[in-house]
Amino acid sequence: MKRKRLQITFILFIAVLFGLWGSNAFAGKPIILGAPLSTAYLYGWDAERGMKLAVDEINTAGGVNVNGEKRPFTVEVIDTRDLEPGVPVSEALMAVERLILSKKADFILGGPNRSEAALAALSLLSKHKKISIVTSGVLTPAYHKTVAKEYDKFKYAFRIHGEAVNLIGEMIANFADLKEKYGLTKVFIMAQDVSHARGAAKVMGKVAGSKGFEVTGTEIFPTGTTDFSMALLKVKSTGSEIINIWMDMPESAILLKQWYDLKIPALPFGSTLAAAEQPGFWKATNGKGEYTLCNVVNAGNAPSDATEWTMKFYNAYAKKWGVEPEGLGSSSSYMAVYVLKDAIERAGTLNSDKVVTALEQTDIMGVYGRLRFDPKSHQVIVAQDPKDGAVGSILQWQDGKRIVVYPKSIAKGEIQLPPWMK
Amino acid sequence: MEILVYGTINSVSLALMGLGFAMVYGISRVPNFAHGALYIVCGFVTWTLFHKIGLPYFISIILSLCVNGVLGILMYRFVLIRVRGMNISEIIASYAIGLAILEGFRFGGFRGMTYTLPVFMEGSLMIGDVPVDFHRLIMMVIGILLVAGLWVFTHHTRIGLALQGMAQDERAALMLGIDSDFMAMLAMGFGAVLAGVAATLILPLGNIVVESGYHVLIMSIAVCIVGGLGSWTGAFFAAFIIGYAQILTVVFIGSHFQMVVALLAIILTLILKPSGLFGQQKELEERV
Amino acid sequence: MSTQESRKERIDRGIKVRSDGLYALMSWRELSYLTLPRFIMIAGMLSLPFLMPDMYWQRVISIVCIYAILALSFDFLAHYVGLVSLGGAFFIGTGGYIAGILNSYFSIPPFLTVPLAAIIGGIFCTLMLLPCLPLKGVYFAIVTLMYPLFMARVIEAFDIFGGTDGLVGIDSFSSSFAEQYFVIGMVLIFLFGLRRFVTTDRGLIFTAIMDNDQAVKASGIDITRYKALAVFIASAMGCMAGACLTHIYMWSGISQFALDFSILPIAATVIGGAGTLVGPILGCLILVPVSELLRDFGTLRIVFYASILVGFILFKSGGIMEFGQRKYEQFERWTQI
Repeated sequence: MKRKRLQITFILFIAVLFGLWGSNAFAGKPIILGAPLSTAYLYGWDAERGMKLAVDEINTAGGVNVNGEKRPFTVEVIDTRDLEPGVPVSEALMAVERLILSKKADFILGGPNRSEAALAALSLLSKHKKISIVTSGVLTPAYHKTVAKEYDKFKYAFRIHGEAVNLIGEMIANFADLKEKYGLTKVFIMAQDVSHARGAAKVMGKVAGSKGFEVTGTEIFPTGTTDFSMALLKVKSTGSEIINIWMDMPESAILLKQWYDLKIPALPFGSTLAAAEQPGFWKATNGKGEYTLCNVVNAGNAPSDATEWTMKFYNAYAKKWGVEPEGLGSSSSYMAVYVLKDAIERAGTLNSDKVVTALEQTDIMGVYGRLRFDPKSHQVIVAQDPKDGAVGSILQWQDGKRIVVYPKSIAKGEIQLPPWMK
Repeated sequence: MEILVYGTINSVSLALMGLGFAMVYGISRVPNFAHGALYIVCGFVTWTLFHKIGLPYFISIILSLCVNGVLGILMYRFVLIRVRGMNISEIIASYAIGLAILEGFRFGGFRGMTYTLPVFMEGSLMIGDVPVDFHRLIMMVIGILLVAGLWVFTHHTRIGLALQGMAQDERAALMLGIDSDFMAMLAMGFGAVLAGVAATLILPLGNIVVESGYHVLIMSIAVCIVGGLGSWTGAFFAAFIIGYAQILTVVFIGSHFQMVVALLAIILTLILKPSGLFGQQKELEERV
Repeated sequence: MSTQESRKERIDRGIKVRSDGLYALMSWRELSYLTLPRFIMIAGMLSLPFLMPDMYWQRVISIVCIYAILALSFDFLAHYVGLVSLGGAFFIGTGGYIAGILNSYFSIPPFLTVPLAAIIGGIFCTLMLLPCLPLKGVYFAIVTLMYPLFMARVIEAFDIFGGTDGLVGIDSFSSSFAEQYFVIGMVLIFLFGLRRFVTTDRGLIFTAIMDNDQAVKASGIDITRYKALAVFIASAMGCMAGACLTHIYMWSGISQFALDFSILPIAATVIGGAGTLVGPILGCLILVPVSELLRDFGTLRIVFYASILVGFILFKSGGIMEFGQRKYEQFERWTQI
């Protein structure tokens, strides 16, 4: 009797397998999007969620039209652990390779997250001729510069979000506002000891200096630093009025909490300040995160009306995942899928070289503005107005909410100073 | 002035981290490489009890300290007791357990930066012209009290004296009827609780992330080596040396080099005085 | 009612006894009993690249071999010299960086950078570890644990050799076959070389140092010199592995000092069989592919292999090789008391 039951179960199992396989076969062979992301970290899972949201929406609407045939997208995520300190970049590279060779990914979207890993992956991409659009965390200007320098070798790499230099420009514009409104001129820079943060700190120092701001100090903190007391005291003693923070490590919360407790009279203005980008930040710091400003790179990651699509994306994300868009990768990962779909449809094929050409001709109105790529460096074109290009977003935590304060074209509020600074 | 204040605070926090490790090694000669994991366990358990279940803060702390103690005892009783005496295996076994716990947390969803604990008291006050926040002050006070308490405990209570006896000479202690395995179990429990206390005091300053586990482990080892493996007074003083060295580096050289200092301290100690400051294991210093 | 007592007895197999010493030449059967395991090992390893279904798994084979070389060096140091090295990452990082520097700053081709990195790296690591060689016990272990972290922080703090970015654009091996067979060949050479080495006079001195260093000293032999020699051999092996890693990934950076490189060789040694130089290789052959297969489970795979590691340490601390060897050479039966 037991044997017979086993046999029946086995037959049913095979039947189900065939059913599943069969149902797939009817829908047209799926286009596989490989996503090498550091899924245990904010910049990994926000990208994953953005991508999956877009893929779901596209598939429900019928899929991608490849030369007359409708094919769905599927997402294959591999955890690269590359945002974890102590994990070698070779892990990320192995993950990318696995996606390309084992999982037969047609396109690579989203990652790797760390700039170092992304730079190292460029050679892999050119070796296998796979298109990649990075969307979450690769902020180093070196990325698009390398593509432009060796276009024929690295032409398969694209970046769909603003990079460090853009972020600095936006922040300087804000600083200029603050100078005009409140007379703040002294800037103290604190950066984490990683490629993009250090590079950004250096550039910021130069640009701020040239625009009439006084850089009162620059401190670089190794990843894993747990004590920022001395630096905060230096901020106070030099009379600095703005603290420019470039840290995605969790210890940044120590910095911000201490800032609040010590009532340091300077405004924390950060970028890639992962801790402060999440909606849970307020509760996590018991409100001590108030007045913190952070640059979330692209609109859509905080509520604004950049384009008609922005709030549609925002609400769809919140509905599907139960939490509002969290980090700087959410809207860009979402758009990467749509941009890719648009390029494939125009190229009519999945052939990498043809899709590269199609991507270079992209011109659609996305969640954060008009999306176009620079044909030489494959960097998305950034602008202050959503009608002209990709628009950034700077938000400030006010009263438990993330209020977008920049750019002016989409701002929902104004920058406020903490009470002990007036 | 600020160097004095913040140097002390940094040192006390390092001492808190190192005490647990020093105690376990000193008494049972078992290097507990799961120290960092125990630190994080206490943090996450307190968070769960406080935020998810809704118990009052202090009850959550006491409960999670108990959980830590039990975890330490269980770890010794079921795993480490079988590899006692074989150095490599102890290190590997305890490290593997620590690794399993930490990565298990990460897998179980404890990722991201939103896991935090509230500070004991908000606000700050001025010592001289240096602003210090209350929680750091409380941490410093409790830390010093804890060390003093430990000293009293190990010198004036029966169990404490038994532990000290085991630390000094295990054979003699056995002859006097002190059960070495039971004492080692207690020592692990204590070490785990001390890790928990360190977590309770230090974690509210920032957030609870799995990476801190690895960081705490390295710092504890640094403190213990410089102080001499096996001596907890040594660990305390070593914490001060490393703590001040870090703060001085930040102020005079640059915060860039903070982490290098701690590791440099270990290497220098090993070259100059391998048994550490108060090391009782002079036989390790024997140069062959 | 009589009670019978029996015990389990383990005796050498007949064929093992017959193939001991010169008698092995008696017949083909004895010869093959001795050579079969080694033959399987060599043939197996050499044919691995052909057995792999796709390029990704071929890459995994190269990584397995790199870890295998590291694990070999760990096993050699720990069980034949008595020095437990918890920092395989130090060797890999040093070798990796030297190869990277030689290649990107001096444009030296891969087939030269690898041996150069091995030798220079070996000398560098030995010099760095020299101060703690005279010390006993657990110090060597802790220093080797600290060194990779220290080096990573130093490179990060002083921003040398590319700092946190690392060195990009390094040449790779001329073909993927060369890449794989080179490392596989190296593994086999090191394995059999070390096995031979530990039975020579020098090798005996190492084992003696591990057992009773006072006696060795009393014989007038300079212990530090021999320990340094052992560390040089192990670190040269590790640095060569690191150099290969750099060329396979065409990149070298701080993450070559990562903790992963320190832990996996130890785990492989424990699981595979400590003390037998083959064990670590077996351990790597098992652990690395399993780790890759479990990648889909995210960090659960680390929990998984940490638990297996603990299990092995507690219950089967001899590892797989010891178990296998026992089964191959001996059999068990019940006998009356």
